[in-house]
Amino acid sequence: MQVTTSRETDMSDIFGRKPFGMTRRGVIGASIAASSVFALASCGDDGGGEVDIDSQSKGAMDGFAADTQFTATEAFTLSLLWTEWPEVPIKDSWKFFTEIEKRTNVKFELTTIPFSDAEEKRSLLVSAGDAPTVIPLIYTGDETSFVSSGAILPISDYVEHMPNFQKYVEEWDLTDMIDNLKQADGKYYMLPGLQEVSVPVFTLIIRKDVFDDVGAGVPETWDEVREALVKIKERYPDSKPLADGFEAQSLLNYASHAFGAQAGWGFGTGMMDDGSGGLQYTAVSAEYKEMVEFFRGLVADGLVDTDSFTASNDGSGGGEVSEKFANETVFAASGSAGTAIEFVQALNETVGEGNFEVLQIAPPGGPAGQVVEPRNFWNGFMLNSEVAESEHFLATLQFLDWLYYNPEARELIRWGVLDETYTKDADGTIELKPEFSLNAYNLNPDGETDIQEDFGWSNPVFADSTESRTLKESYNTPTFVEYIDSVLSSRTPRDPNPPAPLDEMELERASLLATPLKDTVDTNTLRFIMGQRDIAEWDDYVAELEAQGLADYVDLLNGARERFEEENS
Amino acid sequence: MIAKEPTKPAGDRRRKTKESTGRRVFGVVNATALVLLCVVMLYPFITVLAQSFSSAGAIKAGQVSFWPVGFNIDTYKAVMSNGTFWRNYGNTVLYTTVGTTIAMVLTTTYAYVLSKKHLKGRNALIGIAVFTMFFNGGIVPNYVLISALGMKNTMWAIVLPGAISVFNLLVMKSFFENLPKELEEAAMIDGLNWYGIFARIVLPLSKAVVATMVLFYSVVFWNDWFAAFLYLDKSELFPITLFIRNLIAGASTSASEGAAAAGTTTALVSSNIQAVTMILTVIPILCVYPFVQRYFVSGIMLGSVKG
Repeated sequence: MQVTTSRETDMSDIFGRKPFGMTRRGVIGASIAASSVFALASCGDDGGGEVDIDSQSKGAMDGFAADTQFTATEAFTLSLLWTEWPEVPIKDSWKFFTEIEKRTNVKFELTTIPFSDAEEKRSLLVSAGDAPTVIPLIYTGDETSFVSSGAILPISDYVEHMPNFQKYVEEWDLTDMIDNLKQADGKYYMLPGLQEVSVPVFTLIIRKDVFDDVGAGVPETWDEVREALVKIKERYPDSKPLADGFEAQSLLNYASHAFGAQAGWGFGTGMMDDGSGGLQYTAVSAEYKEMVEFFRGLVADGLVDTDSFTASNDGSGGGEVSEKFANETVFAASGSAGTAIEFVQALNETVGEGNFEVLQIAPPGGPAGQVVEPRNFWNGFMLNSEVAESEHFLATLQFLDWLYYNPEARELIRWGVLDETYTKDADGTIELKPEFSLNAYNLNPDGETDIQEDFGWSNPVFADSTESRTLKESYNTPTFVEYIDSVLSSRTPRDPNPPAPLDEMELERASLLATPLKDTVDTNTLRFIMGQRDIAEWDDYVAELEAQGLADYVDLLNGARERFEEENS
Repeated sequence: MIAKEPTKPAGDRRRKTKESTGRRVFGVVNATALVLLCVVMLYPFITVLAQSFSSAGAIKAGQVSFWPVGFNIDTYKAVMSNGTFWRNYGNTVLYTTVGTTIAMVLTTTYAYVLSKKHLKGRNALIGIAVFTMFFNGGIVPNYVLISALGMKNTMWAIVLPGAISVFNLLVMKSFFENLPKELEEAAMIDGLNWYGIFARIVLPLSKAVVATMVLFYSVVFWNDWFAAFLYLDKSELFPITLFIRNLIAGASTSASEGAAAAGTTTALVSSNIQAVTMILTVIPILCVYPFVQRYFVSGIMLGSVKG
């Protein structure tokens, strides 16, 4: 009896009253990752059985070429992983699926996962061998952890059957970037969304009227930002004009490029080009130190709202930063076009509509020149490796090539059916018909039917992938189009770092080494910037990293880079 | 025991005509502390309630704390006219009802059997249950099992795996063990068989623990999103918790994984929609709780501490 009692106490503590004794995301991620190892081991590698593409061409078109309509010669069904965004649930009125089916003879069969935990569920499905054929919304790097399991298709072996993809890679000068997708085995496992032009999504958002007012204008470099902040501080002594609602990760990301470093969200593996073809650890470089010192200076002069650096990210771009923007204690902060809209909404409540101007500016330049992050891909897809045994394999490749890379398909996915939901004049300008709206981009807000919510066009699963510049500009606000223009005309994207894909064992070792290193970097970067650690201790900080195996880590990645270079030159 | 303490001073006060200073000070401090605690508990709830009646702009500008700013009930109308919301709400009600019923049948019968010390193999039966508290297959194997059993995308995947909570089972077992054996013996002499004893003698005498367990189970089923997240692939089958999680956590994830993954359409779900959905979801549990709570303390105490 007594034994039972004490057990009960323990049990209630440990297990609570939850079915699996766990609910937290962290736990899920870790557990799924951990269990994947076992599950994947059982899946095994298919050994790369030969694929006879000709005998698997049921439904495929003969002579399928770029910029032509794909229509399966025989209807078939394709299973698809569908991520459900909370604000865009699928409705019965959606025309997206029916129209695609009408044009291509391909019907989607959905496995729906909630957006909130999409990545965890995706890992689970792939690990359990239960993933649908098409897995969209894959960003570069997402596929790496699945490669060794053999659960996903090395799609590079089959791109010859994808004429649209090849055409636009060539036309938009993306060949080198595609090569960078290669894994240690020299193949790539995902196809990205191609972007004719790529601009940083997150950058500095400023109160332009205030910047103009104090005589600073739109800053082009970080030094000009500094001057402007000083002037604003004089005018508004209680303000701390610069903030970042993303735990400083966003600010450091776009600022680091101007200093010739990599930081924040863009830290990645921490390895970057050392200028002589090798890789160096960015966080110990002189450039990184210069960046840290610059922001340290801003903090010391009271120009930075340091609270925003440490406040946990509430997700909306820092609700608190919106508040501070609204209350005129912050005048410049990190964000995307969406964040800018939030700032505007908040300012409308306090300063009043028409009394202010909010502008997203091109990331300021710095010692490294007027440079921005390297060109990027956008989300693409990967395929369950089982598709290689399907009799519709070729048709599937052709269909996805059309869906993801054919300009007409891209326009369809974004705008709907020509002359039904939108019109296009002779010079290619697209306009929504007055009875339709696209609220996500604040287009025709008075339209009765929303082409996204009611019809499924512009849905986030497919619409944001491949885009030509014209298509990108067709739905964005004039201010964002100006932003694109200002970045493209005045900034140069940096060259991507040399690829250094790791094999399975190396990947394991690298992540063991990289995690504590990055923790040390993150903590100390902020401590230096906030003035909590003396900058004279920089060498001690470097020594701390070295004690954590920095040299091993750098060697590991440089080894991988050299091997890749040899194998692929 | 602890829960009873705060009521003591009130009882004492009534009996005594004059209180000592110490006791009065204790009363005041006690009351203040409890009121503060109450405020700490209630504040988040009241804020969410206020937000649910406020305009999105006012929430963004940080103007909402206790009272709604920019009062409107349009958000309530919008959320309540959302078909998915009600479908998922209905699912939750269904899963909770069916789940709790199954769980109660299994737990009470299992616990009753375990409470009989003369039962052969009793220890093995307890061992089987307790074993699952410390070891389980892990997420992927569980997932593969549920798939193989054909329960994926059915209600059974939600209600069956969590049907017996070992903690609840053991609480109930010790409760049954404490019932006077003589009652059962008398019933047996009067001709009742074991099933009859269980249904007509034991259960009616166990209302407190049964009510507590019903509450435990129904709260677990009502709040559960994880099983649904794992085993359901169709949004029309989702419970309301998954709907809310998507609404709230989804909005946060989009920006925190920002640089790498931000879609350009991170059109955030506005805070007042989140607030309204939370309020509407919590209402049923909020209504049930006060009524069942009086069994709550006695039920859990009777089961676990006594004996």
